[in-house]
Amino acid sequence: MLRNKSNWGKMSLALALGMSLVLSGCSSNGNGGGASSEPTNKANNAQTGNTDKGNDGQKQENPADGSDIEFMGWGGDSEKAVFQKLIDSYMKKYPDRKVKYTVVPPGEYYQKLETLIAAKKTPDVFYAGGAKFNKLVSSDVLLNLEPLLAATNAVDPGNVWKEALDRYRFDGKLVGGGDLYGFPKDVGPWAFAYNKTLFDQAGLPHPSATAGEYTWDDMLEAAKKLTVANERGKIDTFGVAGFSLESAVWANGGDWVDYTTGTITIDTPEFAEAMQFVADLSLVHKVSPSPDDEKAQNGYARFVAGKIGMFPMGPWDQPGFWDLPFEWDIAAWPASPKTGKTATWLGSLGFVVSKDTKFPEASFELAAYLSLDADSQRENYTLGQAVPNLIDMAKGEFLAMDKAPQTRQVFLDIIEDYGVPTIETGSKDVKWLDTFWQDASQVWTGKVTAAQFLKEEQPKLQKLFDEGNK
Amino acid sequence: MKWNQLSGHRRKDMMWSLLFVTPPVLGFLIFGLAPLLTSFGLSFMSWDMLTPAEFIGLDNFSKMLDDEKFYKSLFNTLVLLVGIPLGMICALTLAVMMNRSLKGISIFRTIYYIPVISPIMALSLLWQWMLNYDYGIINEFIWKIFGVQGPNWLGDPNWVKPSFILMGLWSGVGGTMVLYLAGLQAISSTYYEAAEVDGATRWHQFKHITLPLLSPIHFFVVVMGVIGTFQSFSQMYIMAVDGGPEYSGATIVFYIFQEAFRYFNMGYASSVAWVLGIIIFIVTLIQFRFSKRWVYQD
Repeated sequence: MLRNKSNWGKMSLALALGMSLVLSGCSSNGNGGGASSEPTNKANNAQTGNTDKGNDGQKQENPADGSDIEFMGWGGDSEKAVFQKLIDSYMKKYPDRKVKYTVVPPGEYYQKLETLIAAKKTPDVFYAGGAKFNKLVSSDVLLNLEPLLAATNAVDPGNVWKEALDRYRFDGKLVGGGDLYGFPKDVGPWAFAYNKTLFDQAGLPHPSATAGEYTWDDMLEAAKKLTVANERGKIDTFGVAGFSLESAVWANGGDWVDYTTGTITIDTPEFAEAMQFVADLSLVHKVSPSPDDEKAQNGYARFVAGKIGMFPMGPWDQPGFWDLPFEWDIAAWPASPKTGKTATWLGSLGFVVSKDTKFPEASFELAAYLSLDADSQRENYTLGQAVPNLIDMAKGEFLAMDKAPQTRQVFLDIIEDYGVPTIETGSKDVKWLDTFWQDASQVWTGKVTAAQFLKEEQPKLQKLFDEGNK
Repeated sequence: MKWNQLSGHRRKDMMWSLLFVTPPVLGFLIFGLAPLLTSFGLSFMSWDMLTPAEFIGLDNFSKMLDDEKFYKSLFNTLVLLVGIPLGMICALTLAVMMNRSLKGISIFRTIYYIPVISPIMALSLLWQWMLNYDYGIINEFIWKIFGVQGPNWLGDPNWVKPSFILMGLWSGVGGTMVLYLAGLQAISSTYYEAAEVDGATRWHQFKHITLPLLSPIHFFVVVMGVIGTFQSFSQMYIMAVDGGPEYSGATIVFYIFQEAFRYFNMGYASSVAWVLGIIIFIVTLIQFRFSKRWVYQD
């Protein structure tokens, strides 16, 4: 009897131990898988921007006087320094306003943000992008900036990329149109870079910077010539790496989802053809690193080592590429021979304002300032962090900049012409998309064909999409 | 006994003891019991942290029955349990070898114990490199010794779990070894002497004296090992980004973490956590029930 009792004691101890570790263990582990792995965030490395065109007239009688704003963002030391400078100049401009700036490590950002929101301590101004913006705006957490925009002449929306502003519009149902709920921190055109030196050595013509001229066939042909094996038979230099599936699918006329009807559309012949094309670059043609090769050394490391002919890049990659010992440039993404069209993703991150802010005017002005201040936009592009949000600056001094890539126009073409918002932009929940990328590895390794995979995957994704995006 | 019945000096003692007891009790109530109850409540709700929680009854649990990733991560976790008997065999062998008064033996004991006190994050990063397909030291050894290319440890869905088991062996063996060492040293030498007189071989001594007398330690190691394995998370978080190839490296706690802090399905994550808690409870209960048959207690 006694023995039994002590066993029960041990058991309940084990239970309490087990449960409390399991249940509270999750929350103490602060490293989020959240932010940094999303495609948009590839685009989010950049720094800042903003405009002080406005507000010079109205000084002291402003209701924003005496405001105390909290601003939260993520980033490393350099980003923090740029923003601190920007905030200081904002406070200098409005001596009555105080801004408290908090920087959170990227991986923990959304966990922290959601916790603050749940605790009703939402920062006044903060970062949001992609699916998170969608989720926040449809959960009615963000302030509609439209009335404030109409009331001020401080901001000239005509001089900001429409494609960038549209990312922060919401019509009550879908993102992309309607009222403005945020300002772009940056836009991230995912461009197609090539190693000029390798092309010249092989005597190959450079890929064209004009959309539609250079096709998949041209690329494949060039890639075959650029791919070289070493004396042990292992491929040393690959023709291409990291070819974007998004680019291939969109160029070929396919898409992941039709957001207006909420239908997953991966089971189309266009999609399958594009996906098989990308898989075959490695499986059949051996001109691109296989998943195993990527695991050993990723495409980026190979490209900077001069061992890749063609490789995608964003504007934020520029500083890293400026020091390379070979010449490089960017071109338009290769077009699908079937449609003659090309496409690529356009990332973006934005500044949004909390609906519960006590200082809407001051917060709105801070967001606009961070986004559009000419000086910091200039500093940003000079540092090679981003393309300016201001159209006149982008088309003027940015294009004239004397640094690689030579054909910077490609960045602007992507923004204005063939850039497509990242897949997740229209979603509130990205579990379906994560699942797609996880499961897609079967195609990359050649276990199944793209068509088989997509047919089986569609119902699964549709279910996940419906669950998370009702 | 009532407070006012206590003498002044006893009352003072009591006050002090209460004062010392209060912080841990408060700590448990605030950081242990409160989250426990909250998560229990949340497991019947749908909550994304942005919009108010909504009571949905047992929907979370019925969703689980139909959730491929839940089963996959549960299966992965169960496979990792294989590491426990392997670890026990290695640890016991080591302990027997270490259980002698050789000069410098404490240095060896220390070496085997170092992984136990090293942070798991650092170990995971270390192993990630050791297990690298092309450049890892393990595949280098395999190539040097057997002349064949080693497996793509963390890249091949079939090898991810063996990788974790291997790493778990290495990092856990020291702790178990110390337990066995303590157990070995507690066995009275009279048993062995008696056995020797009766003509028992070394193997017989081990099998009929050492093993049974260590049974309380076996039991402790199994129980804690099972609980620990069910809760493994950190190494997967570092080494199997997004769950690894085809989700082959995701454990149940990893899945809970993703649901909670990537997709912010707090209700669903809580319900999975409770199911895990109940699984651990049942498994532990079964172990205790069966323990009467084989655990020797004096």
